[in-house]
Amino acid sequence: MTDPTLMTDLARLDFAWITTMHILYPPLTIGLASFLLYSEWRWLKTDNDEWYRLTRFFEKLFIINFGAGVATGVTMEMSFGILFAPFSQAAGPFFGNILGYETITAFMYEAGFIGLMIFGWGKISKKMHIFATFNVAFSSMLSAMWILVANSWMQSPTGVHLEKGLFLVDDWTAAIFNPNFLTAFPHMFIAAIEIGLFFVAGISAWMIYKNRHAQMFMRTLTASLMALVIVAPLQVYIGDELGRTVAEHDPAALAAMEGHWHTYNADGTPNTSWNLIAWPDEEKGTNTFQIGIPHVLSLLEDHKWVSTVKGLDQFKPEDRPPVLAPFYAFRIMVAAGGILMLVAFWALYLRYKGKFNALELQRRPWFLRAVIFSAILPYIAIWTGWWTREIARQPWLVHGMMRTSEGVSQMSIPAEIAWFIGFVIFDMVVWIGAWYFFSKVVRRGPDMQEEIIHGIQGDGLHLGQLPDRDAPEGRPLFERPAI
Amino acid sequence: MQHIMDITHGYQWLTFIWWILIGLFVVLYIILDGADLGSGIYSLFNSDSEERGAIMASMAGTWDANETWLVVAGGAIFGTFPLAYGSLFHYLMIPLMVVLWGIIIRAVSLEFHHYSSRSRTIWDWGFGIGSLVTTFGAGVCLGAFLQGFEMTTGQVPTFGGGALDFLTPFSILTGFTAVIAASLAGGAYLRARFDRSTEIYAKALKWTDLMFYLALVAIMITVVWTFIQFSWARDKWIGPYWWAYVIAGAIVLFATWSMRKASREQRDITAMIWLASIVFINFATMMATLYPWFVPGTMTIYDAANPSNSLGAFSYAMLGFVPVMLSYNFYQAWVFRARLHKLAGYAH
Repeated sequence: MTDPTLMTDLARLDFAWITTMHILYPPLTIGLASFLLYSEWRWLKTDNDEWYRLTRFFEKLFIINFGAGVATGVTMEMSFGILFAPFSQAAGPFFGNILGYETITAFMYEAGFIGLMIFGWGKISKKMHIFATFNVAFSSMLSAMWILVANSWMQSPTGVHLEKGLFLVDDWTAAIFNPNFLTAFPHMFIAAIEIGLFFVAGISAWMIYKNRHAQMFMRTLTASLMALVIVAPLQVYIGDELGRTVAEHDPAALAAMEGHWHTYNADGTPNTSWNLIAWPDEEKGTNTFQIGIPHVLSLLEDHKWVSTVKGLDQFKPEDRPPVLAPFYAFRIMVAAGGILMLVAFWALYLRYKGKFNALELQRRPWFLRAVIFSAILPYIAIWTGWWTREIARQPWLVHGMMRTSEGVSQMSIPAEIAWFIGFVIFDMVVWIGAWYFFSKVVRRGPDMQEEIIHGIQGDGLHLGQLPDRDAPEGRPLFERPAI
Repeated sequence: MQHIMDITHGYQWLTFIWWILIGLFVVLYIILDGADLGSGIYSLFNSDSEERGAIMASMAGTWDANETWLVVAGGAIFGTFPLAYGSLFHYLMIPLMVVLWGIIIRAVSLEFHHYSSRSRTIWDWGFGIGSLVTTFGAGVCLGAFLQGFEMTTGQVPTFGGGALDFLTPFSILTGFTAVIAASLAGGAYLRARFDRSTEIYAKALKWTDLMFYLALVAIMITVVWTFIQFSWARDKWIGPYWWAYVIAGAIVLFATWSMRKASREQRDITAMIWLASIVFINFATMMATLYPWFVPGTMTIYDAANPSNSLGAFSYAMLGFVPVMLSYNFYQAWVFRARLHKLAGYAH
């Protein structure tokens, strides 16, 4: 007989692994596609060759990232049915619909234009090309939106009722625009923009640091960091809003994120202490050790000096989420977001002082180093943010309606382990490969010699121009074969 | 909301339409990605690294969209037949897992190959082996699907068998058949894609000749085996509408003969289109044989479908996108239609 707890935990681990290794790529795809749209637009607008070269350079990185995202993403669409079959069946009337919308209006939409965007240079007109870029940026955002609709609905399942084991939809508008979605989607979307901008900023800073095409990369460094002056604080603000949404709709999750066990102090007043660090003891239902600051918790969650914030003692032990992982993951995410905001402000300060040019920045290597380092932080923030979100909503799969243990497939332990090992190997190949080729493309730098492609070249049909080994002297490198 | 109510009156029809559309997505996947996968399998037998690179370059602009039809089929099944999605995919856990590994390796090989120098051989092999594994796994999935599976009893019945239930001589046979059929499609694709004066064209010519006869044998065995093993198929084929299946069979034979003729006369695109129509007709015949089963012996399409409200909403939101999807996919394929020169590489 299979141990049901072990089976559930392994299924969670299996799913957690593939999602953790998938979320590395799509946010960058979304953010970078939007940035490419901007830089291609700058090129068309100014006809400045540097914008063209920058676009083509970042596009190479985009392709690698996109390939890795597709490779790990196909798995996701199948895994709900494989690992969480009873959930997929029960939630099909809503959740399945949304995933279906995602594949048809976003996944396929993106695939239908990505080839044109990447390989269409010289085969389609400039206008058609930027249209393709726009469609890739827009469809990848749509994809994130549908995924967040589905995920948020599991956190705050409005508009449905359970009948004969199925989640039947009563109100589509309420289910799609569920309370959690309204703040979680902006939070994820801005995260994608932020990772895209810091990725561009980090690579541009590295180029300036190494004094390679420093003037040219000032364009992308300025554009990305100045955008971040708005984007980074906006993300902190939306994050705070999301925290309050979670406090309202899933107070147990919030209490776990804050390590907040006791609703009231021993003297009967509301416990408003916010734990900077703590070590939770889930058996005893308290922290064995904590450093708390009074009033901060009520200020954060309610924007009031004193208010009652539900602690974990208000929930039965079987309804409590794990505390340790959400508590620390949440703090790491917040710290990363804060540092990113400070880096953006540092850039603004330098600009205000009139020091924002290649020469001055090269005299401030610590600033450039900080920006390069900042390219890693959004990855950490996205990972820890999602871990917080997914662990803190346990033990529920659909909040208050279906437990994780009820939604999991009845799998054999060896099959679950085989899944885990296999995906660890394959996803690591993708990850190592993607980052290896990122660094290779960055080290090689932009191609400054290549001829600039203005719209359709020749008859628009050429597919390659590598030299032919056997070609006799004097023949052109490429001859269009007869069709 | 009123529109959604109106549309639900045709609930039975909608169920049927979505079943047909999902069939269309699956057959599009088989035809389009079958060619890409098959040329990947062929690349395992080609020792010229530059030719293997050219094969990958030939599908650079389109493989992602071709592969995505599989995801669209999966998403549409989840959206319209969630009971089948949950139970069928759970039943197929192990072969699907293998397919997914193959897809991962093929996808990154296609992307990384272009940027690699020292590691190029790794991605060459990754592309070939990924294609082979994906095709074999998908064939096993199809065979296992035709066998049906055990369900639990209860309010929402789900898959109730073991992890290895899929593994039978029949599903292994369909795995091999898929590899052979894809190899034929891959050969036909390469011949339509490369210039006739190239070496790779000449090699593909020999390859398709061999694969044609192998495929003929493999498909015959599969059909006879299906007839013997599955009563749901036998009853249809010798039932009151036997003549329809005879006509379908005759059309397939005619198309096979036409494909062979076009292939011998080096009308490569015509041959490829005949091959696609053979796949299409075979698949349509399979769907007709299956009806009303979604999974034969396990659940009918009407039992697997979403409740009417959800199916109505799905149709209302998505039906219009199907022709849009088809048209931009066609446009993308059209842009990349040119034949390739021998050593063509990526142009970006």
